[in-house]
Amino acid sequence: MTVNAEELELKDRLNLIEVMITEGRRTTESWGSIFVVWGIAFYVAFAWFVLSHSPYAWPITMICTYALTRVINARRRGGQPRTTMGRSIGSIWKAMAISMFILFPAIGISGKTVDPSILTAIVATMLGISTAASSIILKWKLQFGCALIWWTVAVVSCFGTIRQSMIAFLAANLLCHISFGVYGFICEARRTSQGASHA
Amino acid sequence: MPELPELNPVIHGKLRLALLSLLVGVEEAEFTWLRSKTGATDGNLGAQLAKLEEAGYVSVKKKFVQRKPQTLYRITEAGRAAMAEYVRALKQMLGGAIGA
Repeated sequence: MTVNAEELELKDRLNLIEVMITEGRRTTESWGSIFVVWGIAFYVAFAWFVLSHSPYAWPITMICTYALTRVINARRRGGQPRTTMGRSIGSIWKAMAISMFILFPAIGISGKTVDPSILTAIVATMLGISTAASSIILKWKLQFGCALIWWTVAVVSCFGTIRQSMIAFLAANLLCHISFGVYGFICEARRTSQGASHA
Repeated sequence: MPELPELNPVIHGKLRLALLSLLVGVEEAEFTWLRSKTGATDGNLGAQLAKLEEAGYVSVKKKFVQRKPQTLYRITEAGRAAMAEYVRALKQMLGGAIGA
Protein backbone atom coordinates (compact mmCIF):
# COMPACT_ATOMS: atom_id res chain seq x y z
CA MET A 1 0.00 0.00 0.00
CA THR A 2 1.32 3.47 -0.86
CA VAL A 3 1.77 6.15 1.79
CA ASN A 4 -1.16 8.11 0.39
CA ALA A 5 -3.52 5.12 0.40
CA GLU A 6 -2.46 4.29 3.95
CA GLU A 7 -3.04 7.86 5.05
CA LEU A 8 -6.46 7.88 3.43
CA GLU A 9 -7.37 4.67 5.22
CA LEU A 10 -6.31 6.13 8.56
CA LYS A 11 -8.34 9.27 7.91
CA ASP A 12 -11.26 7.06 6.95
CA ARG A 13 -10.98 5.28 10.32
CA LEU A 14 -10.89 8.60 12.20
CA ASN A 15 -13.92 9.80 10.27
CA LEU A 16 -15.75 6.54 11.02
CA ILE A 17 -15.14 7.02 14.75
CA GLU A 18 -16.53 10.58 14.66
CA VAL A 19 -19.61 9.57 12.64
CA MET A 20 -20.44 6.61 14.89
CA ILE A 21 -19.97 8.53 18.15
CA THR A 22 -22.29 11.24 16.79
CA GLU A 23 -24.83 8.57 15.79
CA GLY A 24 -24.79 7.15 19.30
CA ARG A 25 -25.21 10.53 20.94
CA ARG A 26 -27.96 11.55 18.54
CA THR A 27 -30.11 8.94 20.23
CA THR A 28 -32.53 10.94 22.29
CA GLU A 29 -35.20 9.96 24.71
CA SER A 30 -38.72 11.12 23.99
CA TRP A 31 -40.55 12.80 26.85
CA GLY A 32 -43.36 14.78 25.22
CA SER A 33 -46.09 12.18 25.64
CA ILE A 34 -45.16 11.59 29.30
CA PHE A 35 -45.60 15.30 30.13
CA VAL A 36 -49.02 15.34 28.44
CA VAL A 37 -50.12 12.20 30.31
CA TRP A 38 -49.09 13.64 33.69
CA GLY A 39 -50.71 16.98 32.85
CA ILE A 40 -54.02 15.25 32.12
CA ALA A 41 -53.61 13.10 35.25
CA PHE A 42 -53.38 16.22 37.44
CA TYR A 43 -56.65 17.53 35.96
CA VAL A 44 -58.38 14.15 36.37
CA ALA A 45 -57.29 13.85 40.00
CA PHE A 46 -58.25 17.45 40.73
CA ALA A 47 -61.69 17.12 39.11
CA TRP A 48 -62.33 13.80 40.88
CA PHE A 49 -61.37 15.31 44.25
CA VAL A 50 -63.47 18.46 43.76
CA LEU A 51 -66.54 16.50 42.64
CA SER A 52 -66.43 13.65 45.16
CA HIS A 53 -64.05 14.81 47.93
CA SER A 54 -62.72 11.26 47.83
CA PRO A 55 -59.41 10.78 49.70
CA TYR A 56 -58.50 8.18 47.05
CA ALA A 57 -58.71 10.61 44.11
CA TRP A 58 -55.06 11.66 44.13
CA PRO A 59 -53.34 8.39 45.14
CA ILE A 60 -55.34 6.23 42.70
CA THR A 61 -54.89 8.66 39.79
CA MET A 62 -51.16 8.99 40.50
CA ILE A 63 -50.61 5.21 40.78
CA CYS A 64 -52.57 4.56 37.56
CA THR A 65 -50.64 7.29 35.76
CA TYR A 66 -47.36 5.84 36.98
CA ALA A 67 -48.38 2.42 35.60
CA LEU A 68 -49.40 4.04 32.31
CA THR A 69 -46.03 5.85 32.14
CA ARG A 70 -44.22 2.51 32.60
CA VAL A 71 -46.22 1.00 29.72
CA ILE A 72 -45.50 3.99 27.44
CA ASN A 73 -41.79 3.84 28.33
CA ALA A 74 -41.58 0.11 27.62
CA ARG A 75 -43.31 0.51 24.26
CA ARG A 76 -41.48 3.58 22.97
CA ARG A 77 -37.98 2.33 23.84
CA GLY A 78 -38.16 -0.04 20.83
CA GLY A 79 -34.46 -0.97 20.71
CA GLN A 80 -33.17 2.52 21.53
CA PRO A 81 -30.02 2.40 23.65
CA ARG A 82 -29.81 3.66 27.21
CA THR A 83 -27.89 6.88 27.61
CA THR A 84 -26.41 8.47 30.72
CA MET A 85 -28.42 11.63 30.05
CA GLY A 86 -31.67 9.67 29.83
CA ARG A 87 -30.94 7.88 33.09
CA SER A 88 -30.05 11.18 34.81
CA ILE A 89 -33.30 12.84 33.80
CA GLY A 90 -35.34 9.74 34.61
CA SER A 91 -33.77 9.52 38.06
CA ILE A 92 -34.68 13.15 38.87
CA TRP A 93 -38.37 12.55 38.12
CA LYS A 94 -38.36 9.19 39.90
CA ALA A 95 -36.85 10.80 43.00
CA MET A 96 -39.52 13.51 42.91
CA ALA A 97 -42.31 10.94 42.53
CA ILE A 98 -40.96 8.90 45.46
CA SER A 99 -40.77 12.05 47.61
CA MET A 100 -44.42 12.86 46.86
CA PHE A 101 -45.52 9.27 47.51
CA ILE A 102 -43.83 9.39 50.91
CA LEU A 103 -44.75 12.91 51.96
CA PHE A 104 -48.45 13.12 51.11
CA PRO A 105 -49.65 9.83 52.60
CA ALA A 106 -47.57 10.69 55.70
CA ILE A 107 -49.35 14.05 55.99
CA GLY A 108 -52.71 12.32 55.48
CA ILE A 109 -52.04 9.58 58.05
CA SER A 110 -50.67 12.01 60.63
CA GLY A 111 -54.04 13.76 60.73
CA LYS A 112 -52.40 17.16 60.98
CA THR A 113 -54.19 19.98 59.24
CA VAL A 114 -52.11 21.51 56.50
CA ASP A 115 -53.22 24.58 54.61
CA PRO A 116 -54.07 23.47 51.00
CA SER A 117 -52.22 26.55 49.70
CA ILE A 118 -49.04 25.42 51.44
CA LEU A 119 -49.48 21.91 50.01
CA THR A 120 -49.84 23.46 46.56
CA ALA A 121 -46.68 25.50 47.17
CA ILE A 122 -44.78 22.33 48.17
CA VAL A 123 -45.92 20.43 45.04
CA ALA A 124 -45.14 23.41 42.78
CA THR A 125 -41.68 23.78 44.32
CA MET A 126 -40.94 20.08 43.82
CA LEU A 127 -42.11 20.27 40.21
CA GLY A 128 -39.95 23.38 39.78
CA ILE A 129 -36.87 21.55 41.09
CA SER A 130 -37.33 18.56 38.76
CA THR A 131 -38.14 20.72 35.75
CA ALA A 132 -35.14 22.99 36.36
CA ALA A 133 -32.75 20.05 36.86
CA SER A 134 -33.97 18.44 33.60
CA SER A 135 -33.62 21.73 31.74
CA ILE A 136 -30.05 22.22 32.99
CA ILE A 137 -29.05 18.71 31.85
CA LEU A 138 -30.74 19.19 28.47
CA LYS A 139 -29.60 22.84 28.18
CA TRP A 140 -33.20 23.68 27.28
CA LYS A 141 -34.13 27.28 28.13
CA LEU A 142 -37.82 26.79 27.42
CA GLN A 143 -38.00 24.05 30.02
CA PHE A 144 -36.21 26.29 32.50
CA GLY A 145 -38.97 28.82 31.80
CA CYS A 146 -41.44 26.15 32.93
CA ALA A 147 -39.47 25.75 36.17
CA LEU A 148 -39.77 29.51 36.75
CA ILE A 149 -43.54 29.23 36.26
CA TRP A 150 -43.73 26.45 38.90
CA TRP A 151 -41.71 28.49 41.36
CA THR A 152 -43.98 31.49 40.71
CA VAL A 153 -46.97 29.29 41.52
CA ALA A 154 -45.23 28.31 44.77
CA VAL A 155 -44.81 31.97 45.76
CA VAL A 156 -48.37 32.87 44.71
CA SER A 157 -49.68 29.96 46.79
CA CYS A 158 -47.85 31.22 49.87
CA PHE A 159 -49.40 34.69 49.63
CA GLY A 160 -52.72 34.08 47.84
CA THR A 161 -56.00 32.45 48.79
CA ILE A 162 -56.70 28.73 48.30
CA ARG A 163 -58.74 29.55 45.19
CA GLN A 164 -55.93 31.69 43.73
CA SER A 165 -53.31 29.01 44.38
CA MET A 166 -55.50 26.32 42.75
CA ILE A 167 -56.08 28.47 39.67
CA ALA A 168 -52.35 29.24 39.42
CA PHE A 169 -51.50 25.53 39.77
CA LEU A 170 -53.99 24.43 37.11
CA ALA A 171 -52.82 27.15 34.71
CA ALA A 172 -49.19 26.15 35.26
CA ASN A 173 -50.14 22.52 34.64
CA LEU A 174 -51.66 23.51 31.30
CA LEU A 175 -48.55 25.47 30.31
CA CYS A 176 -45.73 23.35 31.78
CA HIS A 177 -47.12 19.87 31.30
CA ILE A 178 -49.69 19.76 28.52
CA SER A 179 -48.52 22.61 26.23
CA PHE A 180 -44.84 21.88 26.89
CA GLY A 181 -45.44 18.15 26.30
CA VAL A 182 -47.20 18.82 22.99
CA TYR A 183 -44.34 21.14 21.96
CA GLY A 184 -41.79 18.47 22.95
CA PHE A 185 -43.75 15.89 21.00
CA ILE A 186 -43.64 18.12 17.87
CA CYS A 187 -39.87 18.68 18.32
CA GLU A 188 -39.26 14.94 18.67
CA ALA A 189 -41.34 14.16 15.56
CA ARG A 190 -39.38 16.79 13.60
CA ARG A 191 -36.06 15.40 14.85
CA THR A 192 -37.11 11.83 13.94
CA SER A 193 -38.09 12.84 10.42
CA GLN A 194 -34.79 14.70 10.00
CA GLY A 195 -32.91 11.61 11.24
CA ALA A 196 -34.82 9.46 8.75
CA SER A 197 -33.90 11.75 5.89
CA HIS A 198 -30.21 11.60 6.93
CA ALA A 199 -30.19 7.79 6.97
CA MET B 1 12.53 10.10 13.23
CA PRO B 2 10.26 9.04 16.11
CA GLU B 3 8.83 5.52 15.94
CA LEU B 4 5.13 5.43 15.03
CA PRO B 5 2.83 3.46 17.32
CA GLU B 6 1.13 0.26 16.20
CA LEU B 7 -2.63 0.21 15.85
CA ASN B 8 -4.56 -2.28 17.97
CA PRO B 9 -5.62 -5.00 15.47
CA VAL B 10 -8.74 -5.91 17.46
CA ILE B 11 -10.09 -2.37 17.13
CA HIS B 12 -8.72 -1.63 13.66
CA GLY B 13 -11.32 -3.82 11.89
CA LYS B 14 -13.84 -1.42 10.35
CA LEU B 15 -16.98 -2.98 11.83
CA ARG B 16 -15.40 -3.52 15.26
CA LEU B 17 -14.23 0.11 15.27
CA ALA B 18 -17.74 1.28 14.34
CA LEU B 19 -19.26 -0.85 17.10
CA LEU B 20 -16.92 0.44 19.80
CA SER B 21 -17.44 4.04 18.63
CA LEU B 22 -21.22 3.59 18.87
CA LEU B 23 -20.95 2.07 22.33
CA VAL B 24 -18.73 4.92 23.55
CA GLY B 25 -21.65 7.35 23.19
CA VAL B 26 -24.30 5.26 24.99
CA GLU B 27 -24.58 3.31 28.25
CA GLU B 28 -25.76 0.10 26.67
CA ALA B 29 -27.29 -0.85 23.35
CA GLU B 30 -29.31 -3.67 21.92
CA PHE B 31 -28.03 -5.96 19.17
CA THR B 32 -30.81 -4.75 16.84
CA TRP B 33 -29.84 -1.09 17.32
CA LEU B 34 -26.17 -1.85 16.56
CA ARG B 35 -27.28 -3.76 13.47
CA SER B 36 -29.43 -0.86 12.24
CA LYS B 37 -26.61 1.67 12.78
CA THR B 38 -23.89 -0.39 11.11
CA GLY B 39 -25.96 -2.12 8.44
CA ALA B 40 -24.10 -5.37 9.14
CA THR B 41 -25.61 -8.83 8.79
CA ASP B 42 -26.58 -10.77 11.92
CA GLY B 43 -23.79 -13.30 11.41
CA ASN B 44 -21.02 -10.79 10.83
CA LEU B 45 -22.19 -8.53 13.64
CA GLY B 46 -22.39 -11.45 16.08
CA ALA B 47 -18.90 -12.62 15.12
CA GLN B 48 -17.32 -9.17 15.52
CA LEU B 49 -19.07 -8.56 18.84
CA ALA B 50 -17.83 -11.95 20.03
CA LYS B 51 -14.26 -10.90 19.17
CA LEU B 52 -14.69 -7.67 21.13
CA GLU B 53 -16.14 -9.61 24.04
CA GLU B 54 -13.25 -12.07 23.92
CA ALA B 55 -10.81 -9.15 24.08
CA GLY B 56 -12.69 -7.82 27.12
CA TYR B 57 -13.75 -4.64 25.34
CA VAL B 58 -17.50 -5.20 25.57
CA SER B 59 -19.73 -6.98 28.06
CA VAL B 60 -22.94 -8.78 27.17
CA LYS B 61 -26.17 -9.08 29.10
CA LYS B 62 -29.06 -11.25 27.95
CA LYS B 63 -32.58 -10.83 29.26
CA PHE B 64 -36.22 -11.23 28.33
CA VAL B 65 -38.45 -8.19 27.85
CA GLN B 66 -42.14 -8.96 27.32
CA ARG B 67 -41.15 -12.58 26.56
CA LYS B 68 -38.75 -11.49 23.81
CA PRO B 69 -35.01 -12.16 24.15
CA GLN B 70 -32.88 -9.04 24.31
CA THR B 71 -29.09 -8.89 24.05
CA LEU B 72 -27.50 -5.76 25.46
CA TYR B 73 -23.92 -4.69 24.85
CA ARG B 74 -21.89 -2.27 26.95
CA ILE B 75 -18.34 -1.00 26.47
CA THR B 76 -16.04 -1.96 29.36
CA GLU B 77 -13.38 0.20 31.02
CA ALA B 78 -10.74 -1.81 29.12
CA GLY B 79 -12.65 -1.08 25.91
CA ARG B 80 -12.75 2.64 26.63
CA ALA B 81 -9.03 2.69 27.44
CA ALA B 82 -8.20 0.73 24.28
CA MET B 83 -10.35 3.07 22.21
CA ALA B 84 -8.66 6.15 23.66
CA GLU B 85 -5.25 4.61 23.00
CA TYR B 86 -6.28 3.70 19.44
CA VAL B 87 -7.43 7.25 18.68
CA ARG B 88 -4.21 8.66 20.16
CA ALA B 89 -2.11 6.31 18.03
CA LEU B 90 -4.19 7.07 14.94
CA LYS B 91 -3.75 10.81 15.40
CA GLN B 92 -0.04 10.37 15.97
CA MET B 93 0.28 8.32 12.79
CA LEU B 94 -1.72 10.83 10.80
CA GLY B 95 0.37 13.62 12.27
CA GLY B 96 3.47 11.72 11.17
CA ALA B 97 2.06 11.19 7.70
CA ILE B 98 1.11 14.83 7.35
CA GLY B 99 4.49 15.91 8.64
CA ALA B 100 6.34 13.55 6.24
